[in-house]
Amino acid sequence: MSEIIEKRIGRYETLLKEMWAASSKYLGTFSVNLLVERVVWEVSLEYKEIELLQYDQNGISCAKMAAKLEENPDLPVEDMFIKFITRYVEILARLLGHERAEEIKKKLDEEFAGDPAASREE
Amino acid sequence: MKRLITGIKNLDYILGGGIPAYSLNIISGSPGSGKTIFVQNIIFNNARNGLKSLYLTTISESQLKMVRHLQDFEFFSDDLLGDRVIYGDLGAVLRRQGASEGLDYLTQMIKEHLPNIVVIDSVKVIRDLFPDEKTFRSFIFELAAVLSIWEITAFLVGEYEEQELTRLSEFAIADGIFHLYGQEEKRFQKRYMRVLKMRGTSFQHGEHLFQIGPVGIKVYPRMRPEGEELRYDVKLGRKEFGICGLDEMLCGGLLEGTITLISGATGTGKTMFALKFLLEGAEKGERGIFLSFEEPVDQLQNTARCLGWEIDKYLAEGQLEIKFISPVELDVDKHAFEILDMIGEKKVERLVIDSISSFESSVTDIQKYRDYLWAIGQQLRRRHVTTILTVLNEDLFSPLIVSRAQLSLITDNIIILRYVEDNSSIRKVLGVLKTRGSDHDKSLREYEFSPEGINVLGRLDKADMLK
Repeated sequence: MSEIIEKRIGRYETLLKEMWAASSKYLGTFSVNLLVERVVWEVSLEYKEIELLQYDQNGISCAKMAAKLEENPDLPVEDMFIKFITRYVEILARLLGHERAEEIKKKLDEEFAGDPAASREE
Repeated sequence: MKRLITGIKNLDYILGGGIPAYSLNIISGSPGSGKTIFVQNIIFNNARNGLKSLYLTTISESQLKMVRHLQDFEFFSDDLLGDRVIYGDLGAVLRRQGASEGLDYLTQMIKEHLPNIVVIDSVKVIRDLFPDEKTFRSFIFELAAVLSIWEITAFLVGEYEEQELTRLSEFAIADGIFHLYGQEEKRFQKRYMRVLKMRGTSFQHGEHLFQIGPVGIKVYPRMRPEGEELRYDVKLGRKEFGICGLDEMLCGGLLEGTITLISGATGTGKTMFALKFLLEGAEKGERGIFLSFEEPVDQLQNTARCLGWEIDKYLAEGQLEIKFISPVELDVDKHAFEILDMIGEKKVERLVIDSISSFESSVTDIQKYRDYLWAIGQQLRRRHVTTILTVLNEDLFSPLIVSRAQLSLITDNIIILRYVEDNSSIRKVLGVLKTRGSDHDKSLREYEFSPEGINVLGRLDKADMLK
């Protein structure tokens, strides 16, 4: 995998893993898995490639996505991930209440200061 | 917290504003207890507000019967079927393909319709498809997780007996449990509901009466004395009867917002004293309600006319309202709540309940009756409604016995009406036994009814007239 692709995907993968960990604290891994499944389905209506996201109760991985990006560097991964993350946090806010969701967003902001995906408003 | 408003009269009040959104609720009860109508009423009410419901049956053919039975209810609407209320058959999938496929089918239906509410009727049937408790529990757990992640408020309907509610695993997983049941009482077949559990919100415990009528379900919350200390502003204004001698004995009338008991034997005129109190209020622009459990409206009007009172005028103007409820039809669970509802709606300042004895005779449980009286008393005081309760004293010439069931404890003032013998004739006397927060005349005074109304005469000066 090229260094550029690794960098493009890597930061999102780290972000998703952080999101996973932060939200499983409240929802439990079983429900987080279901939430990812729901968001993947919703985002797939616009970006089919999101289905390449690998997830189970142990966590989330972007390995297949990275391989696909290698084949097709024009994949709009940034838009796709931003949409995924935004939607994920939106639902989380409704499920847990805005206070809890804000805590998670704040944590992500701290971890990824300056990353547009992490600080994007709902 | 976001809530699902049921739209069922008084149910949202019991639930502190509605059912917490995305919760999993079990509606339990024996066949015929009203479970299906209860849930259908909620989903059609919500469909009118734009929410979508998915109703999954577990027995084939039941949808046809269900829709046929619902057509007579006002909440039902053909227009909402298929658009906002969608039916599906989960039972067939579960029977043919197993639990895992059932959840996939459910998820597929959710993706297709994106419902806000999902109903599974009946979950008890699903339970029977599982080989053991463990696998069923696991299914319910997964079901609950799927539904909440999709932001769905769910209702699982089931024919459960009360003893199953603490034993079966689905009740441990559920966020809310509504138990519906019927009960034979003296004269009525009654329906009750209890909210046994509702995570994430406070709710009113205990049994609440509900009725199924043409509009759907209507709940009558349990009347209960409130646990916290009763606090209300004491008002020092007086409410007169407009009966000269009596108002003098009361040092100007009854204190505003107090509860007065008028106790007397049959024929002593309790009803007329109470009615005059309302007419005097109407004359001063204060709205009054007379709840009669004994005399119909016509009869009260006639008697009032004979006493020269302008009852027709005040009835026509709406200053006075007489509501007659036949004692045969009196249902304290329902009417006690309706009385308070009516008082709030119509901004009533004076209220008469004639007689409280009818209330007593309609309740089998004396403790329940006391609870009702306390609850009503508290509510009336809070609302500053000056109230008269009449009570029948069954012993014509009794000494000053007031009433049973510690009724006198909830009342601030007590007026007694009684017969006395005077040589070979019978006379009527009245006395004020108690006025809380005020002085009063302790004498017994004779009174009479005439075409000019009620005349309070002189003091009774012969002590030997009292038996």
